[in-house]
Amino acid sequence: MPDLEKLRALAKETISRDDIKCLIGWRPGTYGYRTSPHFVRSPEDADQLIFSPLCSSNLATYLTLAEKRPVPRGAQPDTRKVAILVKGCDSRAVVQQVAEQGIKREAVYVIGCPCEGIIDLRKLEDKYPHTLERVEARWENGKISLDLPGGRAVFPREEIVAGKCLTCRYPNPVIADVTVGEDVEVRGSAGFEDINWLEVKNAQERWAFWRDKVNSCLRCYSCRNVCPMCYCEECILEKQNPAWIQRSVNISENTAFQLARAFHLAGRCIECGECERVCPVEIPLTHLNRKLVKEVSEQFAFTPGVDPEAKPLLVGYRPNDKEDFIL
Amino acid sequence: MNTHPYKPNIATVQDTWFETYGDRCIKTFKVVFDDEEVRDNWTHLPGQCAMIGVLGTGESMISISCSPTEGKFLRFSVMRAGKVTKALHELEAGDKMTVRGPYGNNFPVDEWKGKNIITIGGGIGQAPLRPIIEYIRAKKAEYGDLTVVYGARTSADLCFKGEFSELAKVENTSCRLSIDVKEEDWPHYVGFVPALLMEINPSFENTIAITCGPPIMINFVLQNLKKLNFPDEQIYTTLENRMKCGIGKCGRCNAGNLYVCKDGPVFSYATLKNVPEAFA
Amino acid sequence: MKLNKDKLADFLAAIPGKTIFGPQLSGETLKFTPITKTGDLCLTANNTTVPPKSVVFPQTETMLRFEQGATDIRTAEPAGETVLFGIRPCDARAMYIVDNVFFWDVDDPYYLARRTNSTLVGMACLDPCVNCFCTSMGGGPASTEGLDLLLTDLGDSYLLEVLTGKGEMLCQGAGNLLDEASVADKEAAKLLQQKAAGQIRRKIDPSGIPARLPALWESPVWEKVSASCLGCGICTYLCPTCHCFDMQDETEGAESRRYRTWDSCMFPEYTLHASGHNPRPARRERTRNRINHKFSYFVDKFKVIACVGCGRCINLCPVNIDILDILSKVGEEAL
Repeated sequence: MPDLEKLRALAKETISRDDIKCLIGWRPGTYGYRTSPHFVRSPEDADQLIFSPLCSSNLATYLTLAEKRPVPRGAQPDTRKVAILVKGCDSRAVVQQVAEQGIKREAVYVIGCPCEGIIDLRKLEDKYPHTLERVEARWENGKISLDLPGGRAVFPREEIVAGKCLTCRYPNPVIADVTVGEDVEVRGSAGFEDINWLEVKNAQERWAFWRDKVNSCLRCYSCRNVCPMCYCEECILEKQNPAWIQRSVNISENTAFQLARAFHLAGRCIECGECERVCPVEIPLTHLNRKLVKEVSEQFAFTPGVDPEAKPLLVGYRPNDKEDFIL
Repeated sequence: MNTHPYKPNIATVQDTWFETYGDRCIKTFKVVFDDEEVRDNWTHLPGQCAMIGVLGTGESMISISCSPTEGKFLRFSVMRAGKVTKALHELEAGDKMTVRGPYGNNFPVDEWKGKNIITIGGGIGQAPLRPIIEYIRAKKAEYGDLTVVYGARTSADLCFKGEFSELAKVENTSCRLSIDVKEEDWPHYVGFVPALLMEINPSFENTIAITCGPPIMINFVLQNLKKLNFPDEQIYTTLENRMKCGIGKCGRCNAGNLYVCKDGPVFSYATLKNVPEAFA
Repeated sequence: MKLNKDKLADFLAAIPGKTIFGPQLSGETLKFTPITKTGDLCLTANNTTVPPKSVVFPQTETMLRFEQGATDIRTAEPAGETVLFGIRPCDARAMYIVDNVFFWDVDDPYYLARRTNSTLVGMACLDPCVNCFCTSMGGGPASTEGLDLLLTDLGDSYLLEVLTGKGEMLCQGAGNLLDEASVADKEAAKLLQQKAAGQIRRKIDPSGIPARLPALWESPVWEKVSASCLGCGICTYLCPTCHCFDMQDETEGAESRRYRTWDSCMFPEYTLHASGHNPRPARRERTRNRINHKFSYFVDKFKVIACVGCGRCINLCPVNIDILDILSKVGEEAL
């Protein structure tokens, strides 16, 4: 776990550089367990930075979400770099964005933060609801400790971290210009046992599982907007002519939306789990994405977001690619 | 009689013609309601809009570009831009379109009686101005001088081209047309509309100025009207924003605290100058 | 009056001809759905994730039907009678506020039908959430605006307060199931309600906000509070007072329909002109509009703040954009 003083000192040094316009990190939220993305634009802003098991946001999203306002006449565009704090999974998003040429490698300054797992706030809220006071959390010898209003609580990592952290094989950033803290042990297995229970079901049972969940989708598009890989300038969802996916919220259009998104992420999803975290109706989207990760891995021996030089899966063709998925 | 606020009336396209050509061409539709009762009960005044559309595609808020003094029909001049306007452009004489409305407020034509009127339009912005011009023309005795200032990028981009020479013949009426860049055989002004306005140098006394056009033009026209000492209360414009319901429910057409569909589309500059979003 | 909890199922069964909606789990989400088993009701849980506005203003609602190529337009059949059982006072108050819009000059026929055909049976909030701030917005855990009946959980029974004629009608069929409430019951309920109000820890004084907002139009505060915004629809879709909608046409086979569906001022397409021009081009402008609409424009038009303090936008924002934080910044920012 990185020393906060060191992190802030590094951030101050970074934001003071002439070639950096902004540093994106995390700060404590407005209440309880929440943290919030934090945009550091001056050395003083860096005093609020934190990194803890509560820093759930994948900040790589902001690299492509930034709105390009027109440059005023006579002014020069600001071409300075954006510095960004990344956990292991977040770093894979940066790599994949670079590999797809969504962003330029030289436009970002990556500060790596090795991560032992992020708390699933739903699990925490179930245990300790109604917490208004700000809570701090830290990793301690493979466990996670929290300073709750009622005193300190320590949880085994497995009990409290998000599902995506249990299967994570990249807890250490795969790309970084500088790293804060020591590398951590890789705990996730290379297999896909986590989705096995769903895969063994027959089609009817699987649909029964998904039907209710997809039915409750509100189409708020938080999953798409939070996704660091969903950065198309014009999304199929907003296409009006023709409207491939209607705005009406019902099982058929919702399914079309969720499937379109899942397929657009095939070979691109870097398993940060943000879509599932932000979903207000708790659709277990990582199941869907993990299935595609598995297919991509088994069919093409491909893992996205590890090599910025790698050609994105779906733009490449190899003569020995498997074709048995073609019906 | 249909009193359902969302159920449109069916109207038949009687005639269509293109005002301008190209990618964003403007097509005018002359339409008549199928239901005689609707036709007889329909009343609108210059400045008002209607939701017109194609069943199965959708609706779009379009200003009514004819004056009620012209007859028991409606005219709409529509630029081909989005999904609905593209579908509307497919319509020819004999085809059906849907119309509901009229919506919004109107130019205060009664208040303006006895006053001189100057309209300053640009491009498709002439569409909401055409009804007030036609209205005053029909009731000429009740109003003072009418000055029509209208410009577009090129002569091919001017709407209602055929109407201005006739209009200029009307008593106490003058028409001043302009294009941005010089063309052969163009007998009128070359330059931008705000500059033409300065050349005309209208007196603000007992005069109402109405402007409509692209935001950049409106901005400069407003500045110049102020230079000509027009009080804010004597300057009018119409706003347009994306709309869906037309009746103040769907939320989106507000500019600050003003709902364009209900409080507008006609506003005096005295109102708008305090609304920061008005010219966004 | 008082209803013993044992008799709740009988009480609901004694309501004839109305569809009774209550807070129930749908998938993983608590929302108002038609009750089939009284046992499925989650009456002690806090606010539903999806606000009950979805009953009177469904997320997607057919407005018109027509055959392709034909000109005969049918308006959607009016909705039947409903009871919203266990609605929280803040959500009922939100409907009362939203009525202003849907009945503004022209009645919205769909909303009008659903709203007049609905009876709102409130459940006093005795265990407020961490982000509840209803008491700051003119409501409270037992506020009655918009409600026809208010229930207060007394442990073994509910105290029943009849607030309107509609509420009285609902109780008529169940007369034999209700007991007389004692003075002690009423006092106990009052105490519980007061205790709940005291448990609300998040507070703000909004009285100065409407006047400050116009002056803060160009303030850097909007850039600050929207910097992390993802532009999703959570804060608006799940807000009980947000009422914006889109209208679209959809064709399936020969059948076409015009429907409306919730829309969000946080989406770029919401104000995008067909020309490509967008009067609210970025999240800064869109966030500013969201706050101004609730705390300035709505107040201008209808003399009431369009926020009831339910806390959903705070609870569910993926990046902790906190409306109370925004309001306190608006309150502190130099004019």
